[in-house]
Amino acid sequence: MRSPGMRRILALAATAPLLVTACLGGGATPSPTAAPTQAPAGPTAAPPSGPTPTPEISGTVTFWNGYAADGDEIKTFTEVVLPAFNKLYPNIKVEHQEIPYDDLRQKLVTGLAGGTLPDVLRADIIWVPEFADQGALLALDTEMQDFQQLADATFPGPLSTNQWKGHYYGLPLDTNTRVMFYNDKVLADAGVTALPTTVEAFEALAAQVQARLGKKVYAYAEGGTGAWSVLPWIWSFGGGVTNADLTSADGVLNGPGTVAAVTKLKEWLDKGYLSPSILGGGVATSEQFGGGTTASILEGPWMPTIFEKQFPDLTFRYATVPAGPGGSASVVGGEDIVVFKSTPNKDAALAFTRFMLSEEAQRAMGKIGQMPVLKSLSGDSELPDYYPVFQKQLETARARTPSPAWPKIDEAISNAVLKALRGDTPVQDALDEATKIVDRLLAGG
Amino acid sequence: MIAAAGGRLAPARPRRRLRRLLPIYGLLLPGLVLYGAWAAWPLLNSFILSFTDWSLTKPLTPVGLANYLRALGDPLFWRALSATLGYTVVTVAGQLVLGLGAALLLNRRIPGRSVLRLVYYLPVITSWVIVSLVFTYLYNGQAGALNWLLVDVLHVLDRPVAWLAEPSTALWAIAVLGIWKGIGWTMVVFLAGLQAVSPELYDAAEVDGAGAWARFRHVTLPELRPTTTFLLVVLTIGGLNAFISIFVMSSAATGTVGGPLNSTDVVLTYLWKQSFAQLDLGYGAALSFLLAAVTGLVSLVELRVAREAAR
Repeated sequence: MRSPGMRRILALAATAPLLVTACLGGGATPSPTAAPTQAPAGPTAAPPSGPTPTPEISGTVTFWNGYAADGDEIKTFTEVVLPAFNKLYPNIKVEHQEIPYDDLRQKLVTGLAGGTLPDVLRADIIWVPEFADQGALLALDTEMQDFQQLADATFPGPLSTNQWKGHYYGLPLDTNTRVMFYNDKVLADAGVTALPTTVEAFEALAAQVQARLGKKVYAYAEGGTGAWSVLPWIWSFGGGVTNADLTSADGVLNGPGTVAAVTKLKEWLDKGYLSPSILGGGVATSEQFGGGTTASILEGPWMPTIFEKQFPDLTFRYATVPAGPGGSASVVGGEDIVVFKSTPNKDAALAFTRFMLSEEAQRAMGKIGQMPVLKSLSGDSELPDYYPVFQKQLETARARTPSPAWPKIDEAISNAVLKALRGDTPVQDALDEATKIVDRLLAGG
Repeated sequence: MIAAAGGRLAPARPRRRLRRLLPIYGLLLPGLVLYGAWAAWPLLNSFILSFTDWSLTKPLTPVGLANYLRALGDPLFWRALSATLGYTVVTVAGQLVLGLGAALLLNRRIPGRSVLRLVYYLPVITSWVIVSLVFTYLYNGQAGALNWLLVDVLHVLDRPVAWLAEPSTALWAIAVLGIWKGIGWTMVVFLAGLQAVSPELYDAAEVDGAGAWARFRHVTLPELRPTTTFLLVVLTIGGLNAFISIFVMSSAATGTVGGPLNSTDVVLTYLWKQSFAQLDLGYGAALSFLLAAVTGLVSLVELRVAREAAR
């Protein structure tokens, strides 16, 4: 197999990563940190830090995050959280970079290739299995002696998103889920007073909104058919993506619960209860909601502060997802905090990670819409008054399939639901097709 | 090019020859170095990459022709390739016909000619990303200006269409932007070609009793043939490599690059996804060389056909 020609290609190929770095990174300069991605990192590499942090730790920690520039996230992080951290660790300098969510993944991909990764990352929970599978992350359960203690203080749902093949590669940092937002004015105009708690009641609301307000006002708006958009309905109807041990989608993704959910969404779309924006090419759901052309949307806890600025006159109420045969289920979102193996300053990186899970840091970020992951902060009086409904929803909310192939699984679900809603393919056939794709992806193909 | 120049200088004595060549190469050197560093060397490396399996962190493994064979059996690649060809045919034809039309009209002495030429050229110098976003708004299924025009004003449609979210219309809606943005440039090149046509030919044709159509058919078109061939090849290469508008508009309207349902996936968006979303860099590199091969082949065929037609 290994001919001399092949060896020459290999030799040449070995130089390729450097070059691709130059191309991908644009201005990326080769740095001495280029190699450590491959460096074996184990518990023996440095003495593990004890449960009580040592203030003598020094160095620089780079921290990439997607904190939003338009809200108060960056402001709170830099003006409250960092100064508090530096009081404990005066000799650790945190170099933080706020990278918009859409660019962050791209920048990480570039960083993986070029060895220009940060030390610590605020990672979307769905990225952790992928980066762990690439071998880029430190297994925190072996690196931190106090890991169990830290983990036990967090909610199990968000914590589980850090698990990959028997190890924990991060700790939860913030959590969220989607709940129903109901526009007060639309409901008042339609003569609705009570918020629906079941799918049947929601359907009755939709009929009433249409009867009173006509076809220009929808009962519900969604921005697409991806998993984040449609899973709350699929789960609430008793459907899902895979079986419990994540080995197969057969009988679940194409099972009766999922079929019922997608069939119902299609019925609502055809009746004009559901805004056509779910098919794409329409107005953003937040604008439909703010503009009063939809009675409800599913949104996350970061949205109230944004609505406050964009639609100062808008008033709305929250409720959990209408319960169906599967109960009221929503989708878990949020971020984990992970440390890259390539970090030259592990002690400082872990100290910072540990601090981000402290009550002090969690409360500060919690005040501005980053829901804390600490059990001890549940019901904290300093946190926003709209959290309880999100916390209630989180009790039954579920995580998306932890798999390095998740982006492809998401695409398969999105395409199947889109085809079914458009009426191009019968619901069952579309989901059967997606199931085949997902099963192949789960098998690693 | 360099070889040809050297050939012509062959009779000179070696020393004199060297003295004459040195400044030439000296002047070429900066360009060659830049070309080598930013084009040839990456090209060579990505060619090598196309014979490997590489996902950034895992070690790179050579796989021979596997990536190329995989592409040939990949229905999504063939789908993307046919979308690429369809987009190219439509945009090239649209730009040639409308560009020529604009050039013919603006070649006459009509009032406001310079202003009109400027207006037609303006789209050429606008940013692809910005006009892509503007067109995305125009095409919006719930609040777009196009639907307002077609539904509320002209009553051509009875309900709005989400142009960029319909698999049957999305690619062609994007092609309209491609044509709109390219007409100005095609027009300018045609104008240059038209000004090179000798007025005597028209005079002679008129004396022979040729009407406006006959003069266009038998004088203008044949005289513009070299210009048309040039435009055909250049526009085709541009069409086969369309990326920014498709990338921006499909993701803005459907949340998925190449959406809805892969209907706007052209080879470049597909290989972008393979390389940078799925981290399948070897496969992405192989796709890029397949596209380069198709581009070369199509251009060759076009040149050959044009040469045959000129005889």
